[in-house]
Amino acid sequence: MKCLNRGRLSAAVLAAVFTLTACSSSSPSSGKDEIQDSPDTAVETVSEEQSSSGGGDDYVSSAVDFDHELDGYMPLKDNYNFYFTYKIVHPWWDAVALGMEEAQRQYLDRGIKITYEYMAPKEASAEDQTERLHKAEEGKYDVIGVDVADEDIISPVLDEMVENGTKVMTFSSSDAKEGCKRIAYVGNTHNYEDGADLTEALCEKLGYKGKVAILVGSVGAPCHEDRARGAKDTIAKYPDMEIVATEYDNDSIDLAYNLTMKILVGNPDLDGIICCNMSNPVGAARAITEVKSDAVIVGMDHDYEALRYLHDGVIYCLGVQDCYSIGFDTIQIAVKIADGNQPGELFPEKTDETTTVIYQKDAAIMLELLYGETP
Amino acid sequence: MTKKDRITRKTFVLTAVIGSLLLIFMVSANTIWSSRQTNVATDEAVSEVSSFYLEAMADRRAKTITNLINNNFDQMDKAVQFIDDEDIYTKEELQAAIGKVKSLLSLDRFALVDDDDIVYTQYTTYTGGSRHAFLLNEKMDEKSISTVYLYGSSKQLCLAAPTSDLSIRRKKFKASFVQIDIREIVDLLAFDDQGRTYFGLYSRNGKNLSDTELGPFIGKQNLFEATKSVIREADWKKCQDSFEKGEEGSLAFTALGVEETLCYVPIEDTDWEMVVLISESVIHDRIRNISEKNLAASKHQIIFTLVLVLLFSAVLLIELMIMSRKNLEAEKETSKLFRNMANTDSMTGVRNKHAYSENEAYLNQKIMDNEIEKLGIVVCDINGLKYVNDTQGHAAGDKLIKDASNLICEYYNHGSVFRIGGDEFVVILQDKGYDTMIDVARELNRKIEDNIKTNSVVVAIGYSELTDGDNTLREVFERADQMMYERKKELKEIGAKTRLNN
Repeated sequence: MKCLNRGRLSAAVLAAVFTLTACSSSSPSSGKDEIQDSPDTAVETVSEEQSSSGGGDDYVSSAVDFDHELDGYMPLKDNYNFYFTYKIVHPWWDAVALGMEEAQRQYLDRGIKITYEYMAPKEASAEDQTERLHKAEEGKYDVIGVDVADEDIISPVLDEMVENGTKVMTFSSSDAKEGCKRIAYVGNTHNYEDGADLTEALCEKLGYKGKVAILVGSVGAPCHEDRARGAKDTIAKYPDMEIVATEYDNDSIDLAYNLTMKILVGNPDLDGIICCNMSNPVGAARAITEVKSDAVIVGMDHDYEALRYLHDGVIYCLGVQDCYSIGFDTIQIAVKIADGNQPGELFPEKTDETTTVIYQKDAAIMLELLYGETP
Repeated sequence: MTKKDRITRKTFVLTAVIGSLLLIFMVSANTIWSSRQTNVATDEAVSEVSSFYLEAMADRRAKTITNLINNNFDQMDKAVQFIDDEDIYTKEELQAAIGKVKSLLSLDRFALVDDDDIVYTQYTTYTGGSRHAFLLNEKMDEKSISTVYLYGSSKQLCLAAPTSDLSIRRKKFKASFVQIDIREIVDLLAFDDQGRTYFGLYSRNGKNLSDTELGPFIGKQNLFEATKSVIREADWKKCQDSFEKGEEGSLAFTALGVEETLCYVPIEDTDWEMVVLISESVIHDRIRNISEKNLAASKHQIIFTLVLVLLFSAVLLIELMIMSRKNLEAEKETSKLFRNMANTDSMTGVRNKHAYSENEAYLNQKIMDNEIEKLGIVVCDINGLKYVNDTQGHAAGDKLIKDASNLICEYYNHGSVFRIGGDEFVVILQDKGYDTMIDVARELNRKIEDNIKTNSVVVAIGYSELTDGDNTLREVFERADQMMYERKKELKEIGAKTRLNN
């Protein structure tokens, strides 16, 4: 896990903070207290000026850390079998899978064979996830990991599984509800702050005045909901900022496009769109480009098309999560949990991964980094 | 050696030297001219050769990839067949079978995909609908070749094939696939061309897939973005269109002061183009190196030839000089022989009057130069030769002459005996012969007197010495001749036969 503690954050940066918080917390402050003892936890945002001048290639390149090595922990067994389920079949989780595969390969080099299932439905569904978890509980898995589709529905399921003796962890984008008995979480612990940071960047760009819309992913998905909440709270700080619409695209680019078109029809003078997941900014950018709107888009994640829009100046900024590290650390902590370890010295209860806000000038480096493409 | 001989020898040597220098000059000039002609011809050929050479290089590499793809598809068929033949009842058994067949057939990341787009690899099972482009379509009817570059992973070639007949654990499988790291393909393509060419795999939009440098100017950039500023727009667009259509072609441009030529050929069944680039200067340098090596070899040959020619000439010259000397010596010998023949009396073997005349001239010079101290002359005349010739024939007369000559030579064996007339001999005495001249004359006279009694050969002799007043040999001769006549009279008185008394 990495820490981007560069000390470059300026007071002029909108919500440029290192915030230690819990993802699922309805109150950001409560999460902050919870993971303060984890030195690896960090969130970073910088302003466009910093990113393009002071940040440079290193800043962008470190947004995703591909250079991982297993820590010195010696697993107790030669074979492990895990089951992971996540919200929806989507490229974002494919990026997480690559980090998991690298950890699996490194364990294999040490003579430890790790097999796992990494499954998701084609459409996000808490019911489907519940069914998968129950089915997995019947299988011979050392650890079951879940990226929570809906914290209200899934958290009780996880509690029940833990009570039944199953080792359960959460990972990637969404943790379970506060107080859930799951053993540990690896992923983004600062979704609220991510939403707030992106919104601050947008507000600054608009001069703290204008009409904005919020696009969210799946209803109930903690990460999406937290970001939307962070966005709303930030907008609320500025009296001249107004939210004219909030829509959910169910992680579908096509739906994000349609929703944006609908919002633009109703609000042709729309000044900005806050996008809370990976599909939102792509659909929004397609619509903005089509109608030649001047609305400023801020959004999440590393979708190739979104990065191209960022490069072309259609999207103003993107919050890029380190999916690779999430995947790598998930496997590493799953092994420790499988051996009966509890959070403490060996691993934190919440292993936080970074989000880096990047701007137009960073897009080329990110495209090269993630897709080997020089635009 | 005569003056004429010396001139001839000088002329010969001069001719040999000039001839050799001329030969050296001609050979050297011819070599330099040939070398320059070769360079000119080489320069003209380079442009034509470079395209042809590059096309062959690109084609060879493209075929290597095509073979790799075909081999992998064949291996995938075998792998699926192997798994189909196995008794598999659990997911673990399927994973073990995949691991086994991967190892057996050396397949990279071999995996199966079921009808629900769930991917089965040796260690993982995952939902792969968003991860693999070939799963975008619900049904898979034909083989698929695609390029994968996902979220920082290495760029890979993905080969997928439908597996419509495969069913395991009552689950139908729609496809099998392998992913080959493009870096491994690059290693396969980096066969030995002595690092003279650059190559790269490109997608149809000019994007570099192989992460290889296409020369210092283009590097790893997009091919068309990198070359836009150095190629005429019309040519650039034409090349771009051709590239996008998956055609083959070539392009020449000058960048960073270097003439570059690149050639591209499509790789069968893929959306890739193989691009090979070479700097013309490299071809020039390469061919120039070859030329220079050849020239160096020619120079060595020329030097070797010239050394041989010089050695040969020297040996020839020496041989000619030796032959010339031998001829000269032979000539001298012949001349001496002829001279001897001319100076020798054929009947008696002593020297003749001609020889006497040469000696007389020689001695006269010596006398004149006052270089002779001791010189005596004995003049001898045979008595009765005419009588013998007339009465007993010329054969008897000749015998008498020979006997007389032998007698004179016997007594004056330290002097030079000349027959200067039919019955007249002269003996020239110097050194020891001179010292004993008078004693020998006395002994000879006694012998002759005895011969008169036995009717044997009789010779009248008179002698004289060189005196201070003598200026010529003739003067000495005259005195000796006078004495001989006096003696002749004495011998007549003793009883010797003469022309007169017979």
